[in-house]
This record gives sequence, structure tokens and C-alpha cells, in this order.
Amino acid sequence: MKLPDIKLPKPSDLTGKLKAFAGLFPDPRDVKLPKNAAEAKKAAHDFWYGKPHGERRLGDLYLDKTGLYKHREWRGVKDTFYYFHMIWLYNYANMVMDIMKFGDPITFAKGLWRYRWMGQTYLPVLHWFDRGLEGLRGEALRASAWHYRAMTCVTINQFMNMFEADGNLRNGAHNDAWHHAMAHKETVWGGIFYPWADKYKHIPLEMIPYFVTCHVNNHTVLNYIDAAQSIGLPGDPCPMCQAEAGLFVLDDMPDFAPFMVSSNEACDGSVASTAIQDWFFKGPLFAMPQPMQFDDPLVQEHCANEIRECWKFIEEQTGAPFNLQLLNENLEKQNELQRFEWEKWDVAAKTNHYPINGVAQALYRIYQSQYGEHFIWHDTDKKVSKILTKCVEKKIDTFPKTRHRVIAWSCAPLYYSNWCTWAYNCWGLNTIINMDSLMFDMTIRTDNLDNTVMDMARYHEWAPMRRMAVGGMHHIFELWENMERFNCDMVMMYDQLQCKGMQGVVGLFEDEFRKRNIHAIWMPHALPDKRTVSRGEIRRIINDYMSTVMKEEPLDPSLLEFDDDMSW
Amino acid sequence: MRDLKHLIFFENLLQEANNELVKQAKSEGKKALGYTCYFMPEVLLDLPGCFSVRLRAPRSGSPDMATYYMSNRTCHYGRALLERALEGGFNFLDAQMATETCTVTCRFQEHLDRMDIIKNPDFFVTFTDVPFKTNENSVEHFRKQLQAHVLDELSEKFGIDTSDEALMKAIEEHNEVCRIITEIGNYRKLDNPPITGYEFHVIQLVSLTCPKYLILPYLRETAEELKTREPEPAFPFRCRVVLAGAENDDPEFTKLIESCGAMVVADRYCYGTLPGREQIDVKEGQSPLDAIARHHLDGSYCPRFMPREQMRGRKKYLADVVKDYNADGLIVASNKFCEYWSYERTMDALILPRDYGIPTCSIEKEYVNASTGQLRTRFQAFVESVEIKKLQEAK
Amino acid sequence: MKKTMLDKAVRKESRKLKRLKKAQKIQKRVAARSSAKRSTKKRGAGCKVLKVFGKIFALLAALYAALFAVFFFDLDGKLMYYVVEPFLVKHYDKMDRKNPLDMPYEIKK
Repeated sequence: MKLPDIKLPKPSDLTGKLKAFAGLFPDPRDVKLPKNAAEAKKAAHDFWYGKPHGERRLGDLYLDKTGLYKHREWRGVKDTFYYFHMIWLYNYANMVMDIMKFGDPITFAKGLWRYRWMGQTYLPVLHWFDRGLEGLRGEALRASAWHYRAMTCVTINQFMNMFEADGNLRNGAHNDAWHHAMAHKETVWGGIFYPWADKYKHIPLEMIPYFVTCHVNNHTVLNYIDAAQSIGLPGDPCPMCQAEAGLFVLDDMPDFAPFMVSSNEACDGSVASTAIQDWFFKGPLFAMPQPMQFDDPLVQEHCANEIRECWKFIEEQTGAPFNLQLLNENLEKQNELQRFEWEKWDVAAKTNHYPINGVAQALYRIYQSQYGEHFIWHDTDKKVSKILTKCVEKKIDTFPKTRHRVIAWSCAPLYYSNWCTWAYNCWGLNTIINMDSLMFDMTIRTDNLDNTVMDMARYHEWAPMRRMAVGGMHHIFELWENMERFNCDMVMMYDQLQCKGMQGVVGLFEDEFRKRNIHAIWMPHALPDKRTVSRGEIRRIINDYMSTVMKEEPLDPSLLEFDDDMSW
Repeated sequence: MRDLKHLIFFENLLQEANNELVKQAKSEGKKALGYTCYFMPEVLLDLPGCFSVRLRAPRSGSPDMATYYMSNRTCHYGRALLERALEGGFNFLDAQMATETCTVTCRFQEHLDRMDIIKNPDFFVTFTDVPFKTNENSVEHFRKQLQAHVLDELSEKFGIDTSDEALMKAIEEHNEVCRIITEIGNYRKLDNPPITGYEFHVIQLVSLTCPKYLILPYLRETAEELKTREPEPAFPFRCRVVLAGAENDDPEFTKLIESCGAMVVADRYCYGTLPGREQIDVKEGQSPLDAIARHHLDGSYCPRFMPREQMRGRKKYLADVVKDYNADGLIVASNKFCEYWSYERTMDALILPRDYGIPTCSIEKEYVNASTGQLRTRFQAFVESVEIKKLQEAK
Repeated sequence: MKKTMLDKAVRKESRKLKRLKKAQKIQKRVAARSSAKRSTKKRGAGCKVLKVFGKIFALLAALYAALFAVFFFDLDGKLMYYVVEPFLVKHYDKMDRKNPLDMPYEIKK
């Protein structure tokens, strides 16, 4: 009998692999032992309290290209163990509990096995926390992390709802969950569906498969953009809409609802991509567009009527009557969230005690206000409120290395939403507020249905991006009054290269920045597509501006240049 | 074929937005009202005392100044218009009747509003909101918008008579233009038409860019002339195509297609006639404004419309036009950076060949077609493929 | 003779006494041994409980240390990046998918 050939790895292969493996960890030779008593005292102090900002050298922690850490940051004993217990362990444990609470592990596993956006994106979610919370200490760390926790909870809730109802996971069979789900474009505000919240689940089509994935793992969305272009779509339309269409083209959209509601939010691209989604969506579709010229009092009745028509459609499709009480209850809860948001803005604008960093502020706000009511928002706000109160009462400077208060304007880069964490750590640029946080900036009356519907119409008109980008240039130029309102001295001007609306005003912005003598950094990007402008390129642009125009030295030089091309 | 009597005159009119007839109307005290979109009903802008000018930027070069304002990642058409405005080419305008129907032209019009570009102290810009559906709610909305942002503005600012009688008179004149253009356009359905696609494109464009009351006599004469015009002895083209797509106000583009052997027998694009030159029908007891609003919503196949039956109906409409005009194929052309038509064109190129068996050529072009060599190659290849298909079907 | 009987009695008594003393000694020794044995038994039971707790504590401590090591050295990230994600991506790339472009485009629905 001939023995099978067994190819043993060459010693050099093994050595190489071992070396590569060892390279994933910090080199013990890099550890510098204290030489004298003073150094020993400093080392002990740094161990206990964490290194001061200028000595952290956070860039040295990264593994080349991957964005992984040789080791996670040592933030001092208290904050490191807080991170370990209350962020890392807590969130892993709660993710498991959320899966059990909102569904079951078998369904989760089936969904993970079936959908690329699930498996490729959401397993490394703790790294998303890491990137956003880098360098944070104390109350800023705590408050910002609660926001991330809330978003994770809602994300799990949504994809478990999808999987529970998904016909694709059941050989095409439609179960009770399917019949009690309502699909809608992610830019349709969740509040439209409040009147059926007791028995029906509203699930945005693309929020989980597209929008949230861009922040957590920016590689996933590239498959969908490429898929849309593979059927002949040119490369220049907004990549958000391309990806939304691409989800269907790549057969990666769950079959979780019998009907869908679409919208023209935020712009032409959303209208156009609906045509492709319509083709691939088997059930009835209701289009609920909002007027573009939303300041015009004449358009409000029209918009309100569209909402009423949408409700009629939902009643027809579900057979379930409109429930005014449920609508009002949920609207009141949402109003609570809005009122707390205003309190936060007040603290952010007038003090340096605001404990929420730029990325947590931006993502939480857009998620919460677009998705609509969920218990976790209230839980989070309660926790954050305590931290906020503590910071204000004890006058805690939450971002002590702030050199510039930045307002971020226009559509943000989804694949680098944590650029502001890097910018604070490297240059002391503290992003206080951003444009998308400022939309949906109102409460909704619940005194009578007519007032409610009119306010809902206005609310929906004030949706992300469109609140500032359409309906007249005077909206986009609200930047100046918001700069004043939030006491910002610098602008991060997002330059979404494929957004026709924003590309159409670049010259006027340049003129105004010059006229008003405002320091503005133009940050080009392609929304979810990192291939057009990489994170490294974004950092280079900021570095160039800060060193050549502002003539400042970095707080942490190790963060100036590093390669994270292949990172999540 | 014998040259059309007024063709050269028409071609000259199209060389400038402020052409001979526009100047004449202005000298007669009429107000020049600019617009860019089908959803701004030209009939309202042709009320007695004013005239509509659908904006073009003929003979555009590189829009450098406009590119500063609007970057080089926006539709060239919008930038070319802004460039022309910055150059002073639109200083004759008394008002811009704007619509927020597509982002880039909207931005162009917002620039007109915000910057002091048009050197006319009375110049103003008014924006009309256009719905995305054609249900009753939308019709009522559109009617109110037209009343407030078009008629009331004209009345208030220029003292234009916007009564129902004035509207009916404008509709009458408008319908005559439509009748003549449609009559001329119908010749293209013939097996050997006495008019080329290029000629028709020129005629349609002058009807959009010149005062109606001044161009009508020429259009009437041309229509008469065509009744007796002898076509070529044999059909001079290799195939017949429908040209569909986004904004297209360049007859040279049509000429380019026809020079490759494909006659453009139908024009289903912005600035085209399908739809665009249907007569407005005012029913008994209906207000003229209501008729106008309905006409422009019901009759449009713009990719802005969102209801499913309209999104899908557009494909059928295109197929019907191909059949109606005995076309052998379809060319769908959109401007680079046109969001709506990028998606619409993609869908057309997939659905029409698959479901209707219509050979379809999908191309992207610029407003100023510098790369005619590349386009020529595409069109020639398309014509050959259509010919091969016809041969195979004949077998 | 009387002396001898007395002597005998005395000797008998002293022998008895001796035997009694010996017995007492033996008893004492036995008692001492058993009490030593009993206290040894008691000490053993307590030790076992402590040992169990100790083992659990050590296990938990080891688990805690392991978790901390995973956390601190970003082992979860490394596992995801180098093992889990590539495996799943390979799976997704190989999956059979239906072609949505084959879906009908019904004009009237």
C-alpha cells in the first residue's frame, strides 16, 4: 500500500507564520523598564492614571494596514477596567442576550450564514466601539459608549426582526412574522408606522444591510455598489442609492414583508433607485414623496395628505385599523427624546462639559431620529443624563485637549465616521455638532390629529441631508448661525463627491468662507465608498491644513501617518 | 431632399438664447421668462405680455467659472447654463420661472437667485414645487403652486393678465403650436419621411426657445411646405431609431446619429415632443389652470414619478413609441452626472430588449459633445447590430 | 505464716494496682490516640471544601485573566479579521444566488 504524500510545511514557512503571528502582539523588547526612582514613580503614575494625552502614542498600537491593535489602549486602571467590564464584556454579553430577547440563536445563525452584510459586518462590532472611543477617558468614555450600546441594541433588534420574518430562510414560506412586518426605505421616518406599533413591526429595508454596515465594516458595502454597476449603472450617482439598489441585485435582501413604502428622501437618487428596488420587490409599493420646497406654506397640506394616503394604504394591506392613541403615545415618547437632545445641545453649545464625542453624537442622533421610538433610546438617555448632570455640576472638562471647536457640515463619510475621534486625539479638533444632528429639530403636537399630521409632514420634510440640502440654498447656509449657536471656530466641510446637491454649492461656500474669514477644511469623500477617497487621504488633508495653515503641532505625532487601508 | 425654406433661419435662431425673435419681442415690451423644465408649463409663460424661453447654452465651451461654483461633478447642462449666465448671455431675462425638479438645474437657478448675475434690476426667480405623483392630491398641489408662484407673481410683478380668458387665449396659441409640431412630427412615422430627425429637432427647439407669436408664422409655412416636400427616392437611412433620455437640446447630436445611418424618428427626451407637444384639452366646466396642471402631470413620463404603475408604465410607453413610429431600435442617452436618467437608462437597457425585443443602445454623453468619435463608433456598431437582427428576422 | 498470707495479699493488691495503673495508662493512650484520630478527620473535611472553592476561584480567575488577555491583546479582533471574516467571505462568494434580473417586470400588477 502506498502511503499518501504528506507535504510537511517547510521550516521557513513555519518560521514565517510564527513570526507573522508574533507580530500581531506587542514586542516585549519595546517595553522600557524604569531606570531610576523618578521614572519608576512616573511609570506607576501612568499605570494608575493612564499616560497624559501627549505621551500616549496611540498610533503605535495599530497593526499595519489592518487597524487591529497590538494591544488595546491602557487608559489607567480605572478607565481600562471600566472599558473591559462595562463596554467590552457588557456589550458582548448584551449582544448575546439581545439575540435571545429579539429572536433565537438558530434564526440568528441562519441569517448570518445567508447574508453577507450580516456575517461580514456585525461580528467585529466591538472594533467599531474601539475606533470611535479611542483616547477617551472618564465621563466622555462612559457617555459615548452608552450611545454605541443603544445603536447596537437597535441594530440587533432590526436584523432579528428581519430574520424572524424572512421567507428566504424558510424556503419561501411566509410566516406570521412576515405578515406582521412593514418594509420601508430607510429614509422613510419610522414614526409613520407608529399607529400599528403594537402588532406590526416596521423594518427599514436598507438601514441594517447598508447604512450601519458602512460604519462597522466599510468593506461590505463595496460588494453592493459593484453589483449595481455590474448591471450597467454608471459610477457617478450617489453611492448610497447605488448600494441600496445593489442589495437587491446581489440577492442579499431578506424577504421579510408583504409591502413596502418608499420615499424621495433625501434626493433625486432615492427616487431613481426606487425604480430598481421596485422591480425586485415582489409586493405592493406605496410611494410617499415629500415636497422639495418645504418652506413654502402651500406645500404642507399636500405633504400631510400624502401621509394620510400612506396610512390608508397600510390599513388596506394589513387590515388593521389606524390607532390614534398608539400614534400619540409614541409621538410623546419621541418628543421626550427630542427635548433631551435639546438639553444636550445646550450643554454642548455653551460649555466644555459635554461628554459625548463627535461620532457618538452624530450616529446616535441620526439613528434615533430616523428609526423612531425604541425603549433603548430612553434607557440610554437616562444614563447619559446622569453623566451629563455630573459633568455640569462638577464642571468636568470632558475634552481637555480641545484646541478648536468644530462644526461638521454636509453629508458625512460613513466609512470614516470616527475621523473626528482621530482628529481630537491628533490635533485637538473637537467636533461639537454636525449638520445631520440638526435635522428633525422639532417636537410634534398631539392635541388633535390635524395638527399632528401637519407636524409629522414638517418633521418628515426635515429629514437627514434634505433638511439642509434641498428647498433653497438658504438652508445649507444655516451653517453660519449654527457656528455661532454652538460657539464653533472651525468648519469641517464634508465634500461628498457624488452628491449633486452639495457639489452644486461648493463655489458659494468657498466665497463665504473667505468673506467671513472662517477656517474650513474641505474633506472629500464618497459616502460609503472608501475606494474613492481613503481614510488615509482624509487624514493627510487635515494634517496638511493643520500644519500649513493653522501652523500647529500635533498632540500625538504617532497619529499623523499610518496605514489602515484594509481596516474595518 | 430640397432644403426647408426656413431651416437656416431656424438654425441661426438656435445659435443664441437672445436670438433675433427674442430681441424683437423684448423691443415690443414683452417680458422674457426663462425656464428649464417641462414641469414649468410654457403656456403660462406665453400669456399676453410675456413669452417663454426654454434655456439653452448653445456653442458652449468649457464652463470654467461655473465649474468653480458647481464643481466638475455636476451635470454639464446645468453648469453650461450658469456659465452662459455669468458671461451675460441671459441678461435679457426678466424672470426665471424655476422648478426644483432636478438638483443641478435647481442649483443653477438658485445661483441666479442668490448672485447678482442677471443685469436686470427687475429680474426675479420664483420656485414652483412639483409633485412626484399624479393623484388628486398632487394635481391640486401643483395647481396651487402654479397659481401662487407663476400666475400671481406675473400678475403682481409685471401686471400680466392671468385671468381665465387670458389663459384660454394662451392655450389656444399653444395648442396651435402643438398641432403644427405634431403634424410635422407625424411624417416621421412614414416609411420614407419627408423630414429628417435633425430637421425636426431644430423645428421643435425653435418652438421652445422663441416667442410663440413670432415663430408661429414660420412654423405654419414649414408645415405647409412639408405637405408637398418630396422625400428622397429611397429611404436614405439604414434603420430607424427612437431617441430617448435626459436633457437634449443639441440638434448636432441628432445629426451625429443620423450620419451613422440611423434616422431619429421619435424624440422621447427632455426638450422633445413625446410627450411635450400634446394639445391641452380644457373640459366643460374645468378651469384652464386645472387643465394645464393635469395635462403636465398626466401626460409626462418623467423619471421623477414614483408610483409603481408610472415607473413601469414608462417602459411600456417607450415600447409603444417604438412600435408607433416603426422604429427598429432605441437609443437612450443621458448626460453624465444625471441621477435620474442614470437609473432609468440602466433599466431601459435591461427591460426593453428582454421583454419587448427592442435593440437598445445605452450611452452617456456630455452637454457639449466633444468626443464625437467615440459616440460615432457606438452608433455605427448599434446600427450594424440592428441590421443584422433585421436580416436574421427576415430569414 | 500470717506474714506470708499478708505478703501474698499485699503482693496481690499491688499486682492489682499495677494492672489497674497499666490499664489506665493503656486507656489513656488509647483515648489520646482516638482523639488525635478524630481531630485529624475534622481537619480533612474542612480542607476539601476550601480546596473546591479554591479551584473554582482559580478557574474564575483564570477565565477572567483569559478574558482580559483576549480583550487587552485584541484577540477577538484578530480572530475575526484573520479567521472568521475570510471564512465567511469565501462562503458568501461561493453561494448560489438567484439572478434578480430574471424577475419579470410586469407592467400591470
